[in-house]
Amino acid sequence: MLELQGLTKHFGGVRAVEKVDLSVAQGEILGLIGPNGSGKSTIVNLICGLFPLTDGRVLLHGTDISDLPPHARVTLGIARTFQNIRLFGQLTVWQNLWVAQNSGEQFGQENFLRRWLGGSRRARGEIDRTLEFFDLAHKSDELAANLAFGEQRRLEFARALAAKPSLVLLDEPAAGMNAEEIDQLDRRIRMLRDDGVTILLIEHHVELVMSVADRIAVLNFGQKIAEGAPADVQANPLVREAYLGTATAA
Amino acid sequence: MDDYLIGVLSNVGVISFIALSAYLLLLIGEISFGQQAFFAIGAYAAGIATALWGWPLAAGLAWGAAVAGAAAVLVGVPTLRLHGLYFAIATLAFAEMVRLLCELFRYQITIDGEPTGPNGADGFRNIRYIFENDIGPLQFLVLIYALLAAALLGFMLMERSRLGVAFRMIGEDVALAGLQGIAVARFKVLAAGLAGALAGIGGGLYAHLTTYVEPRIFDVMLGVHSLAYGLIGGLGTALGPLLGVLIDIGLLESIRSLAGYRMIIFGGVVAFLLIVRPRGLLDETVVHYVRRTWYQIGRGRGN
Repeated sequence: MLELQGLTKHFGGVRAVEKVDLSVAQGEILGLIGPNGSGKSTIVNLICGLFPLTDGRVLLHGTDISDLPPHARVTLGIARTFQNIRLFGQLTVWQNLWVAQNSGEQFGQENFLRRWLGGSRRARGEIDRTLEFFDLAHKSDELAANLAFGEQRRLEFARALAAKPSLVLLDEPAAGMNAEEIDQLDRRIRMLRDDGVTILLIEHHVELVMSVADRIAVLNFGQKIAEGAPADVQANPLVREAYLGTATAA
Repeated sequence: MDDYLIGVLSNVGVISFIALSAYLLLLIGEISFGQQAFFAIGAYAAGIATALWGWPLAAGLAWGAAVAGAAAVLVGVPTLRLHGLYFAIATLAFAEMVRLLCELFRYQITIDGEPTGPNGADGFRNIRYIFENDIGPLQFLVLIYALLAAALLGFMLMERSRLGVAFRMIGEDVALAGLQGIAVARFKVLAAGLAGALAGIGGGLYAHLTTYVEPRIFDVMLGVHSLAYGLIGGLGTALGPLLGVLIDIGLLESIRSLAGYRMIIFGGVVAFLLIVRPRGLLDETVVHYVRRTWYQIGRGRGN
């Protein structure tokens, strides 16, 4: 469903992402791994349109979305979480979800007024169910800034799902989590996949990626160096080299 | 009510509109030093409509708001591409431009053998609608506060809608707001247009309250004050900027023994609060706790 063709991003002289080809099939979990600074997060930012491409294309269901602004991409069903948690701290937990909900209905359409000026009653039930799923229902009216770290991570995930996306980009969702929380995350990612959502998972936590990903792609210095089933990637000498260095270099 | 009190309260009410105007832009995270421009446009447009064209007051005020709102949209489209300091400078430049244009603007019609209308730097005298129609100061005060109440009601409803939440999201994190499906650029222009219209209503009321306007009234200090009202009173609720106006005009300007020190105290208050409470007295946290306590009391009664 998602296809990256020759994706390239240079920041000045830094080649953050260089000619990356990658495709994610409908309903699969693709793990994207690589050492720090290898360009993983940049790829996520490029997919959701946070900054323009230097070269290449992003295709969603075969349509070129490279020039669409972020909000239009959300409308097409792309949602994400952030490596460093980004929430609207001065808004309540449920307000954080409310706006993202049904963002398919857009400005200029006839239901604009109902969407933006209508009351909250219609939206409540659905949001409460999402919060329930993430064990946040009791925090519904709390300001997001007042949540504990683990809760904030869950809220970010919940907010990404509120938009009912078909593709979710998870940027290091396990960072800073304890073993139990990672277990929960593992289960939630699988449940999401079982609901038909396609997932691009960026993660440092190798166990988690090996456990949930159907396929894994490996980046190093902005280039894709390996792709395949988890076991194959794990055995790949190039991958070992990228993480551990070569024998001579060491 | 004595005339002095009526005068002070009328002033507080009129200035509240431009304070709300600046507040709306603060919600989306933009600092405008130029809302006085739309206040001026509203004042001239509404004054021209009633004094020169013989329109009724309601139509004049609506016209003032519409012209100011349209001007704000036109200015907003290019300037809202700028952020932070650059937006602030652009709005300031625009407002000064409007003030200077007011000094050049001449449009006079002879009414009852007397030339009436904007006359350049001499200003626009004889906006006599309230005298000609026997509207007393108290009646006009009621009109001002009825409109202000309507504006506040509008804010309350907006803050309870997705639109209000979307505005706050834009103010807190623009990029993240875009990722919630908010078409940020359009929402910013919408906010600018609404803010312009609000300032325009205030300008129209001001013109009819004082019966004349001079270009020098619309100098940058008016814009700075209207911005400061939200920052003092708080950005958590539309009542915040009103609190700011009350503190400044209601206390500092009106208590005669303090009047001479107004600017000193006001500047000190602004500096102090920006350090201690950067989002004002009634900031989001305070408003959140008040609201929650209120609901809990409500629930307690229900049981």
